[in-house]
Amino acid sequence: MRSLLRRCVTVGAAAFVAAAPVAAQDRDYLLFVGSESVDRVALIRFGANGAKVERERYVGFAPTELAGPHGVGTSPDSKWYFVSTAHGMPFGRLTKYSTADDAQKGQVQLGSFPASLQASPNGYYVYVVNFNLHGEMVPSSVSVVAADEMVEVARIPTCTMPHGSRFTADGLRHYSTCMMDELLVEIDTKSLAVSRHFLLTAGKEMGMTGPPPQRGAPVTHDAGGHGMEPPKPGDITCSPTWALPSPDGTRVWIACNRSSDIVEVDATSWKVARRIPAGPGVYNLGVTHDGAKLIATNKRGASVSVFDAGSGKELARIPTTRTVVHGVAVSDDDRYAFISVEGTGAQPGTVDIIDLMALKKVASVDVGQQAGGIDFWKSERRR
Amino acid sequence: MQRLLFVLAFPATLSAQTVSRIVVTPAPASLTAGDTLRLKAQAIDAAGRPVPGATIRFQQVGGQFEGIVTPDGHVTSGAVGTLPVVVSAVVGNEKPVIAQVEVRALPGPAASVHLAPVVTKLLVGQSVTMKPRVLSKAGDLRPDAVAWASSSPSVARVAADGSIVGVAAGRALITAKAGSATTTISIQVIPASVGTLSLTPASPQARTGDVVRFHLSARDANGAAIDGLTPTWLLAPGDGAIDAGGAFVGYVAGTYTVTAMLGQRTAQATVTLTARDVRRPAKLLGSVVRNTFATSEVWVHPTAPIAYLGTHLGGDRVYILDVSNPGAPAVIDSLMVNARVINDVMTSEDGKVLVVTREGADDRKNGIVIYDSSDPRKPRKVSEFTEGVTAGVHSAYVYTQPRFGRHIYLTNDGTGALHIIDINDPAKPREVAVWKTPRTDAGRSLHDIDVRDGMLYASYWNDGLVILDIGKGTNGGSPSNPTVVSQFKYDLGTLYKQVEATDGPGFIRGTHTAWRHKNYVFIADEVFSQSEIQKLMGKAPARAFGRLQVVDISDPSNPKSVAYYEPEYGGVHNIWIAGDTLYMGAYNAGFRAFDISGELRGDLRAQQREIADFMPSDPKGFIPNTTMTWGVVVKDGIAYINDFNTGLSLVKIVPKSAIVP
Repeated sequence: MRSLLRRCVTVGAAAFVAAAPVAAQDRDYLLFVGSESVDRVALIRFGANGAKVERERYVGFAPTELAGPHGVGTSPDSKWYFVSTAHGMPFGRLTKYSTADDAQKGQVQLGSFPASLQASPNGYYVYVVNFNLHGEMVPSSVSVVAADEMVEVARIPTCTMPHGSRFTADGLRHYSTCMMDELLVEIDTKSLAVSRHFLLTAGKEMGMTGPPPQRGAPVTHDAGGHGMEPPKPGDITCSPTWALPSPDGTRVWIACNRSSDIVEVDATSWKVARRIPAGPGVYNLGVTHDGAKLIATNKRGASVSVFDAGSGKELARIPTTRTVVHGVAVSDDDRYAFISVEGTGAQPGTVDIIDLMALKKVASVDVGQQAGGIDFWKSERRR
Repeated sequence: MQRLLFVLAFPATLSAQTVSRIVVTPAPASLTAGDTLRLKAQAIDAAGRPVPGATIRFQQVGGQFEGIVTPDGHVTSGAVGTLPVVVSAVVGNEKPVIAQVEVRALPGPAASVHLAPVVTKLLVGQSVTMKPRVLSKAGDLRPDAVAWASSSPSVARVAADGSIVGVAAGRALITAKAGSATTTISIQVIPASVGTLSLTPASPQARTGDVVRFHLSARDANGAAIDGLTPTWLLAPGDGAIDAGGAFVGYVAGTYTVTAMLGQRTAQATVTLTARDVRRPAKLLGSVVRNTFATSEVWVHPTAPIAYLGTHLGGDRVYILDVSNPGAPAVIDSLMVNARVINDVMTSEDGKVLVVTREGADDRKNGIVIYDSSDPRKPRKVSEFTEGVTAGVHSAYVYTQPRFGRHIYLTNDGTGALHIIDINDPAKPREVAVWKTPRTDAGRSLHDIDVRDGMLYASYWNDGLVILDIGKGTNGGSPSNPTVVSQFKYDLGTLYKQVEATDGPGFIRGTHTAWRHKNYVFIADEVFSQSEIQKLMGKAPARAFGRLQVVDISDPSNPKSVAYYEPEYGGVHNIWIAGDTLYMGAYNAGFRAFDISGELRGDLRAQQREIADFMPSDPKGFIPNTTMTWGVVVKDGIAYINDFNTGLSLVKIVPKSAIVP
């Protein structure tokens, strides 16, 4: 593992030299990224001299087993980061680490394949979807974890293969999708219950109240590939992989991985506002804090797209360093987007840094294989 | 039935919210295993008033093996144990107030009392202590104190600790009572008119580790045999063991005195043990150091001088090695695999089919890859099997039966299930059965599989060893219909409590490997503490823990642990048995080989059954100069030792040289 680390650092150093020093002159940006196939979370530092791996933390549980860290999220007070580990056993875990020194501060067992996660804006909770990638195609759930005590206080049934986990800025609503049921799900965080759901299939869009009906079989049954397989001829399904409320809470954007478009739902009328054509296999979404730019990873397209959130116009489609593009995190000043790229085979994972003003890739750093979950931590005055 | 035993609250961590604490009833809470209970909770403010509108939820946070708790507080108990439950009260979007309670599921009423040994005949003046076990109807062990009684104390007296003394000739009924359960045995007390006592064999010669079975013969003054007596066995000195049936094993060379007691009468025998003298040097013939990835499983082709070596921690390839010259093994090719862990590699018995397991595939489909290995140097991929096993396959076993043909038996990382795949046409693998231990999915893990003579031995982690009939027919099993023969569970928490005591909870431990040999199944546990895992992943020297147990399956329906081995400082990982030698990868304790000839009892290490050891390491290793031995395959007297940090070492145990006068 250390040789891998050494290689990552070496390649990172190369990127350090090759990349144009375009970061804000006096700022360093720090973020966490998980590597699913080597059980590592890396802290990335990006500054005027490029990007590098600052340190790494092993987050597995046994040297000969893959734990599979999938989701990574920081707490609003920046003191903690949370990692969901998915593979290897039924019923994965959520673990809490100190951002200062990577010390483990708590752990809780959740459902099958805990994946995307986010800490609530008030920091009291972490919502984790139990993606259940490899189990029976049956409805799964969203786990609600009390962040201080690290105990699961609720497991809210939703639908099949829930993915994505994002709150509104006021923390009153939480959104996730269900890949196999074509659904957007809204949770009322006061009552810890599903308040509304939305069918996303093109031409069949429909908003409904209450939780989705519990039924035996999913609409689709193609669990393999995890967003990497293009639609077959005649396939109009959305296969939603991410839901992201706009900063003002009036809209929800949903990435339709299979149909390669973004559905914008009006959160008030609970109707489709528009469908925005996107890149191949659009997968995860991020948005600048001012709500102006929407960033989308294109899992099948080896690229990341930046949209004008108001007009829906694709401003740029920027190639990534490697293929299988996964997550996105946006810097606190909205200047940069950090993109995790899984890579294939023995290739390292990669974090590409996109300048959201120049709309181009400005740095890249290799991390452990299958880089996925990613979240921004903080910026600080350059050392 | 509904008593509340315990309420642990970490409640008043409050700021501005109105909920101050949560009151849970009943308190404390307990129920009989198999029964149900309704928990109720109320949010209370600082003034002791109920808080209206608080959302109350119950969330089970452990004990998934023992029962289910629904969000509205309905408890269904399945087995004896403790169900920790978190109760949360939330008002609006504020910080939750949390209490934790424990619901105890207790054994049902005493239903039976079992005694051991069962004494049927005593001499006047003889004393024997019987140990009682009180069970519920469901077979759960109860802690009840047992009340003893004799129908005729003037014949046989029984004390509160279960010791019975023969007082005078006659018959008495001895009753052990717990609650409404009783058991009664009839004891005959006979005069202490023993003429002769003799212990056979009288003065046996044996080696350390050999099992000597003693038999006590009692005869009256007329020379007639007195049968049915229960002696008490003693052993001096104590470097060994003797059981209630008189089976003795000694650990150290020397002279032992074995005593059988019948009241005041005793008989003794002397056992003289010589050292086992099996210790031999292990000679390194050649090695291939690997450091791009950690090394996982090795497999040696059965008909060609070719070895296959898997890769781990990001590994995406299987190395193909020419081992025709053991002094200079060499990588000649690689199979590139869409995986980041290749944990297992195995061929069919004839070497024509090669199976490679996948974990961490970039498309997350994992499963297995099947190759035509008719040309062992250039295996040709013929198919994949991923349906239902996309979470990954950790281990696979290829096995052919004349009646059913060829199948792959594989583990499912996602569900802990056994999948059985028909590969009579390797290009068209077809699943014929899925089997898993019948309980909740939480934590179920099938780790390894061994198949011998139509029986499958599954290493089922917390579920212990499970024996399935997959074609032998004793239990009507076949590959498409695996049937349970038996299950051997043991208390991992107690066995490795020192690991938890020194490094805290959350360590990993479970039944990891099994290998059936003769009437024994050798099972090895994988045990790591969290701090040692962190050391290993930080590229520092680290240690494993673990025990190998020898399980006697002379009666396959009733497996019994009879012997064990624990390295002084190391683990027990994968094993291989050839002839009467067991070979082991013992992680940081390196490679070990043991003499497992004869009957096995007690502590195998203390008996000096260890034949050889070898510590693979190399300055250019994945972790330099650090041993972490995964396992071994033995072919033609050569041990092919795969080490996580070092690669492959070929080692031969040097035979004892003949003394030439």
